[in-house]
Formats: sequence, C-alpha cells, structure tokens
Amino acid sequence: MINNPVIFYLASGLIIIFALLTLFAKNVVYSLLSSIVVFFLGALFFYVLGSEYNAIIQAAIYGFAVPILIGLSIMFGGQKNKNSDRNFISSYLPLLCGGIFILAFIYLIMMSLVIMPDTFNFAEISQVNAFDTLRTFARALFINYVWAFELISLLLTIIIAGIGILRVNKCNFLKRHRGGEE
Amino acid sequence: MIITIYHYLSIGLLLFLIGLLGSVLVKNVIKILISIEIMLLGININFITFATFCDNTNFDGYIISLFYVGIGAVELAVALYLFYLMYQKKESDNIEKYSDL
Repeated sequence: MINNPVIFYLASGLIIIFALLTLFAKNVVYSLLSSIVVFFLGALFFYVLGSEYNAIIQAAIYGFAVPILIGLSIMFGGQKNKNSDRNFISSYLPLLCGGIFILAFIYLIMMSLVIMPDTFNFAEISQVNAFDTLRTFARALFINYVWAFELISLLLTIIIAGIGILRVNKCNFLKRHRGGEE
Repeated sequence: MIITIYHYLSIGLLLFLIGLLGSVLVKNVIKILISIEIMLLGININFITFATFCDNTNFDGYIISLFYVGIGAVELAVALYLFYLMYQKKESDNIEKYSDL
C-alpha cells in the first residue's frame, strides 16, 4: 500500500472532476473520454491500496474493453438529441456536486491533521509480497469461492447464448416482416 | 499527514453519489450506463479499501471486486445491445422515449 497524500489528493480531485465531466459534457464522445480517465484513476486507487491484480483487471476491462463497446454503440446509435438531458434540476446539479466535493475535501484535510483515537483507528497496513497475494487470490478463487466462480461462468454462458438467440429471433422477425410487406 | 480508511471511503461515497445523481437526472441512455459504471466503481473502491485495511489474511474484498468487474462488464454489454435494439425502433437516445419495451 502506498501512503502518499499527494497522490491521493491529486487522484481523488481528478477522479471527481472527470466524473462530473462525464455527466455534464454535451457530447457523448466527451463523456466517454472522461469516463476512460475515471476508470484509469480507479485502477490507480486500487494500485495505491495494494491490490495490483485488481488494478490490472480494472485497467484492462474498464479502461480498454468497455470504452470500445460504448464507442461502438455510439457509432451505431448516432448522436441525435445531444441537448436532451438539460433541464431545470440538472442546471443546478454542478453547484450541488461542487459543494459536496468541497465539503468532503475540507473534511478529509481536517481528518488528516487530527490524531485518530485508537478505538477508531483500525488501519493496519497489510504487508504481503506479490507471491503471497497471488497465492491468496488462487486459494480464494478456486477453493473458497469456487461455487461463485462456477455460478458466474454459468451466468456468462447463459448471457452469451441469450444474446445469440435474441439476434436470431430478430433476424427471423425482420425476414417475416419484409416478406409480409412484399 | 496520514491517509486513513475514511479518506478512501469518502472517495467511494462521492463517486457513488455522482453516479446515482447521473443515473437519475441524465436522460441520455449512454450517459446513464456510464453513470451506473461510476457508481459500481465507487462500491468497488469500498470493497478494496475494506479488504486492505480490515482483512489482512483472506482478502475477500479483492475477490468480490473481481467478480463485480466480470459481471459489470457483461451487464454493460447486454444493456448496450438492448439500447442498440431500442434505438433501431425509436430513433432516439432519450430515455423518456423508451417507455415501452
């Protein structure tokens, strides 16, 4: 675990700013680019917290694979009604989020300056090397949580088969519809 | 200056709130999906934080967050496919026009 306040405050400030940009950018593509930054900063948080394996998975899936999926759907979907998400409440939302952000940071800085009581300070830094972490992962995945692992594998297989069935049914429906029109 | 567990929990909470507000208020379907992912990222940060600070032996939070990443990515893929199908029918990415499936 890396206990560096500069990295923490810089990363947390950037992640909040880019998360807000994701919501309030007018163009969907800019939202997507901001979300990529948010996901990479999330991976940085995982690395700082000492979970390198989760950081790699987060960066690979949410930093690369998911943005490609969303980008493809934006390409197929087009960009009509760009300004449809502007209403009365959302115009005041940046002020609300900014206020929450400032209050949270004031609280965090004050928390850093005071000495925590022993009863509430259960922050024990874990000291494990990479080999132990991998062994712990393997033991948890294939022994402790093997039922969840198998269940999720089954669920993913069902989802893939379901999407295939949906696609085939949609093609058949379109063929029948076009045949009826002719 | 020491970074404690509360700092990481606060960041997770802030991300969750931003994602929640975005998923409630924004009307673009793509932005709603991204907001849900940001919300899940906040939850994931909380899992990793608790696993790091409170659980020094089993690291159950790491494993749960791994499962979340897999499920979250597949959920997003299915939602985007449904969005694609609905977009072909409705010709709009505004969630208010998707009142019927």
